Amino acid sequence: MHGRWILVAALALGLSSAACKKDDPKSTRWDDAGAVIVNIATSSSAAPIAVGTFNKFFPKDGEGGFKRIYSADKENYAEAKLQKDGKEVAQLSISDTERLATAREKFDAATEKVEGYPVLKVGNNQTTALVNKRFQVKVASPTLDHEARKAILATFDLKGLSSL
Amino acid sequence: MTESLYAVLEALPQTSLTTHILDALDTFVPGEWRNITVFEEMVKDVTGESDQAIIQQVGERAMQLWSDESTGYQRAVSVYKGIDSASTVAGVAALASMVGQKFEILSFLNDVTPKPDTTQAIDAGVKLAGELVAFTLTNGLPGDSVSDFAAALVNYGKEEKIRLAAWLAIDCVLPLGPDFILKILEALDGPLESLQESRAFQFVSAHLPGGLGEQRDTIKKNLEESRGHLEGLVASHGISQESVLAKVKEYIAIADDKLDVAAAALDLATNTFEHTGTQTVVRRVVARAYGEI
Repeated sequence: MHGRWILVAALALGLSSAACKKDDPKSTRWDDAGAVIVNIATSSSAAPIAVGTFNKFFPKDGEGGFKRIYSADKENYAEAKLQKDGKEVAQLSISDTERLATAREKFDAATEKVEGYPVLKVGNNQTTALVNKRFQVKVASPTLDHEARKAILATFDLKGLSSL
Repeated sequence: MTESLYAVLEALPQTSLTTHILDALDTFVPGEWRNITVFEEMVKDVTGESDQAIIQQVGERAMQLWSDESTGYQRAVSVYKGIDSASTVAGVAALASMVGQKFEILSFLNDVTPKPDTTQAIDAGVKLAGELVAFTLTNGLPGDSVSDFAAALVNYGKEEKIRLAAWLAIDCVLPLGPDFILKILEALDGPLESLQESRAFQFVSAHLPGGLGEQRDTIKKNLEESRGHLEGLVASHGISQESVLAKVKEYIAIADDKLDVAAAALDLATNTFEHTGTQTVVRRVVARAYGEI
């Protein structure tokens, strides 16, 4: 029996290079993105925002009739989902723009405000605010419109976040 | 240099023995999984946006996050690959030939020696711990936060859900039967050496806190905390030895009806964790990039 396993392994290894199971990349549009990546990274001397810092500024569970489920908690980024009747309605996030100047600079064009903070619509599905010229708070939802997303933005503890 | 995020996703095959198996198991979690292997398609699926400028920005930010090793995303993919390749002989999928619309696992693979029950049970428990580790590396819950993971499992969708269904079907129910949780827990209570000998464990242990005994306890706790949900999934989705084998045989010709042999052959010839795990990590990096741009 043992010999049979060795046979399987030997055959498989012998064939693996000839019959590689990996596909070649299917698109070329990202080939040049490597160079871009270096350009969009902004260095900063500010300390990164530690894991666990942003959670307390999200809307409370049950606020607006939504169930809130935390879905990511990383350095400089935290995320939660809102559910209604078991279905996902929106993705919420707070991120630090300290090392991503383009994210911050887009707010120069903002004409709306929530609690005094500049607010923008991004694409079709996102509404975002910039708190204290540094922390980006986003509501993304393909089903809620801009006004409904703005209303959810107002349920974050934006003042608390601004004191970080 | 590290492979780019888009290349990692796009290297996944559109059609393979693994994708056929996942298609077969779709019956247990209908409509959850689509085999997305093109990066732009994943960005569109996550964001629902069609504006090419936004898609480009999200894609580039995701690639940047991926290329920074400290974010943990690359390690998450290595764990998914590791727990699979521990059981999958590289390239063995190439030995399965297409016969008409079905893959046929070559006859000598049908003769593979099934793993002893204890080894099978330990490997199954270790794979779920691997899922916990990869989840934590990707989404950043504290490393010992087993209860949070059990809660997150309940909210699994898409690639995560088909991966869990595949694990339940192929690693648990098919070889171990309906009382698989009990069998895994019993096997883990055996000598610690059996755990050390598990090849999958080598890829997981570095990410679990404490010494060997403590790591064993974490693997057990992970299973116990998730038990209700896992048994519920098996019951509500009709995952049984008979239903799994019948489904798999619609897509793949397996000469042998011995359940443990079929499970061993499937385990050897597929890489469901690597395939869907890569898709999960890419999806999560893209979701974060969408939040950050």
